[in-house]
Amino acid sequence: MKTRVAKKLSGLSRRDFIKKSAVVSAAALTSPASRIFAAGSDTIRVGLIGCGGRGTYDTTNCLNSADGVQLVAMGDLLKDRLVSSLANLKKRLGEKIKVTEDKCFVGWDAYKKVVACDDVNLVILTEPPHFRPVHLAAAIEAGKHVFMEKPVAVDPVGVRSVISSSELADQKKLTILAGTQMRRISHLVQGVKSIRDGAIGDILAGQCVRIGDGMLTWGSKERQPAWSDMEWQLRRWLFLTWLSGDFIVEMHVHNLDVMNWAMGAHPVQCMGMGGRQVRTAPEYGDVYDHFAVEYEYPNGVRVEYMGAQIDGCSNRSDERLDGTKGSAYMDFGRTVIKGAKEIEYAWDNADPCLRQHADQIAAIRQGTALNEGRRIAESTLTCIMGRMSAYTGRALSWDWAMKASKLDLTPPKYEFGDLPMPPVAIPGKTQLI
Amino acid sequence: MKNKTRQKVKQLSRRDFIKTSAAVSLTALGSGAGKIFAAGSDTIRVGLIGCGGRGTGAVQDCVNAAPGVELIAMGDLFQDRLDGSFEELKKKLADKFKVTKDRCFVGFDCHQKVIACDINLVIVAGPPHFRPAHLKSAVETGKHVFMEKPAAVDPVGIRSIIASSELAEKKGLAIVAGTQRRHQAHYIEIVKRIKNGDIGEIVAAQVYWNGGDMLGYWKWYERQPGMSDIQWQCRNWPWFTWLSGDHIVEQHVHNIDIVNWAIGAHPTQCMGMGGRQVRTLGNIYDHFAVEFEYPNGVRVSSMCRQINGCTDRVSERIVGTKGVAYTDSTTGYIEGAKAYKYDGPNPNPYVQEHADLFASIRSGKPLNEGRNVAEGTMGAIMGRMSAYTGRALSWDWAMKASKLDLTPASYESGPAPDTSVAVPGKTQLI
Repeated sequence: MKTRVAKKLSGLSRRDFIKKSAVVSAAALTSPASRIFAAGSDTIRVGLIGCGGRGTYDTTNCLNSADGVQLVAMGDLLKDRLVSSLANLKKRLGEKIKVTEDKCFVGWDAYKKVVACDDVNLVILTEPPHFRPVHLAAAIEAGKHVFMEKPVAVDPVGVRSVISSSELADQKKLTILAGTQMRRISHLVQGVKSIRDGAIGDILAGQCVRIGDGMLTWGSKERQPAWSDMEWQLRRWLFLTWLSGDFIVEMHVHNLDVMNWAMGAHPVQCMGMGGRQVRTAPEYGDVYDHFAVEYEYPNGVRVEYMGAQIDGCSNRSDERLDGTKGSAYMDFGRTVIKGAKEIEYAWDNADPCLRQHADQIAAIRQGTALNEGRRIAESTLTCIMGRMSAYTGRALSWDWAMKASKLDLTPPKYEFGDLPMPPVAIPGKTQLI
Repeated sequence: MKNKTRQKVKQLSRRDFIKTSAAVSLTALGSGAGKIFAAGSDTIRVGLIGCGGRGTGAVQDCVNAAPGVELIAMGDLFQDRLDGSFEELKKKLADKFKVTKDRCFVGFDCHQKVIACDINLVIVAGPPHFRPAHLKSAVETGKHVFMEKPAAVDPVGIRSIIASSELAEKKGLAIVAGTQRRHQAHYIEIVKRIKNGDIGEIVAAQVYWNGGDMLGYWKWYERQPGMSDIQWQCRNWPWFTWLSGDHIVEQHVHNIDIVNWAIGAHPTQCMGMGGRQVRTLGNIYDHFAVEFEYPNGVRVSSMCRQINGCTDRVSERIVGTKGVAYTDSTTGYIEGAKAYKYDGPNPNPYVQEHADLFASIRSGKPLNEGRNVAEGTMGAIMGRMSAYTGRALSWDWAMKASKLDLTPASYESGPAPDTSVAVPGKTQLI
């Protein structure tokens, strides 16, 4: 049994991925994407995959972040989402929207058709997180630069795929930018730099807390008779673990990514708990409404994460670190370092969502390296392992999750048909896979 | 409205408690208890209130802890619980068992009848809800007290415990609490070293009681015909918040108490979360996670869970600038510049706590752990209140302003207590 598992896993190993992708990369390297910007001023043509609210928002920011950026192709699983997104984008961005009808693709293979567009140099990946690994792989294989929203996977199998694709992107000199914009918020950049420069000494402990509302008004709660189970779940993706990863992954990857950034490492193990105490109606799928996870980082440093999406609670969103020489506190507005002296950094008010796209456009045009794939994959796995621990009630290690876990939430088939609502996880009963 | 609230709270203030109790104390001081052990060897006559598993166990530890200790009287809410305990103790305590049938009392007023007997020490081991009232009666009538943890289930109860403890101090009465880790050799040594600065300045801590669902230990009693709601709930006290305080209070208080001890302070505020994802009995949760903030911004993370089939962990970890101290019920060590591992003798702490109690009484320097256990319990209660409501709250508010009192209108009749399951964001912070 064990050998069989090991064999199966080795089928997914990074080495194999690289070997496989090496063949692809040789062909892809001759494709237009990596050469086109040598001149430094060419037009960048964007393809959008995933035309929901976030995709529309990211496209707007991307096209506004620099001159000479256009949208030329769009794809979505659902036609109505694409149509409304296109209309919105045209209203907002006018001439920059060059999408013609033949460059609008709908359905399960829409992403393939977008990445197959020769004139597209950069794709924006904003379908639900479940699809990210496959979409990223397709984009990189096709030689496109990528902006992808967080999180980048919902299970360890997906995380491994994202890491392989990122390594391939390096070989092909493609840029990958992840939508973890907190990495570009001025006072967090300054704060983390101070921490890493030793302002609070060696890190001994930390806390990461995000408590917000229940997201109860998100999306349509009315299921239309024509919608299949699959369509209903896709339209409620935020509340389905196989699609979103649950909110610890979907939203709180921002905060845990800041923790990994400040620590300069990912956790080595974790123990979590959680449940759904309030958001229990069936339209909220199978996700939890609260999680608490203790992450252990290298050198025995323990970081407590607490997250909730429940209306009417005390709201908070902050990260805090204790060190041998002081402490650091960070939230959306400021960083406060209490070390040998007290330093406060305030936000410079620059929109990090705009800044991140500008950075990528510049990197593409100047041919400089920019690849955030591995680190967002690691932050995503940080959240996934916390969820897995809470769902099962079992402590688990990074190495096990990264190398041995077989958890793959992909449904039996991608088609608009029957798909039973997954059961809510029960700690002590739900298996660690 | 606000004024009325304030007034009500004021009525419960510690000052008022002391005032009322001062009158009592004058009479009580003239009674036997305060003087009886001056000679250092008199017989200690024990009354047991609460004849469940813990009470029956505590009496045996008590009697075995020193010579000259006898059980005189017993009381419980239920006849069968008392009878079972009576038979067991009669066998196990042998000639130290001096309970006669006329000193066995059953019902909601059993504690008063036990205390009225010719005893000097009361073991208070009823469900936690009753602790404040039982302690108050015991101290007012001049008895030394061994009481189980937790000390109360709500802030109103905590204030009462603190008032009774202050009264005991004045009257020279001992109060030892069943937080036995405080009497356990490796805990004492590790905490001593922490206070000595061996791990530097404390910056954080983690405490855990993650274990099973306790159904093997606490039974669930189906309701019998003729039982009132309250009687039935009292039978199943661990599973109802108004009786046990929920497991964060009932069980995890041990670990929170250790942090209070090591830091030398109680939390200043907390934010918690929790729920019941598996458990369906009673109205308690099956998991909690709480961030406690202590003076100087020190954060303590607490996790407790009662779910079968999960990773278990029951321990404390105190993080300092120069090292880390680890303790659990069997071991204690320090990592860092002043690394240390306790390997000395480790006498049974459940017996040691009684031995320490008797020694303190007989030496005329009675131990008083009332405030310690009240503060440890209060931390756990705050954590529960925060998790139930989803609201962050401060120690000062909970201690001075909270009006939460889970006591039913009447034990004998009247409406049953609210036993709905708390819903964060909806359950009110009271």
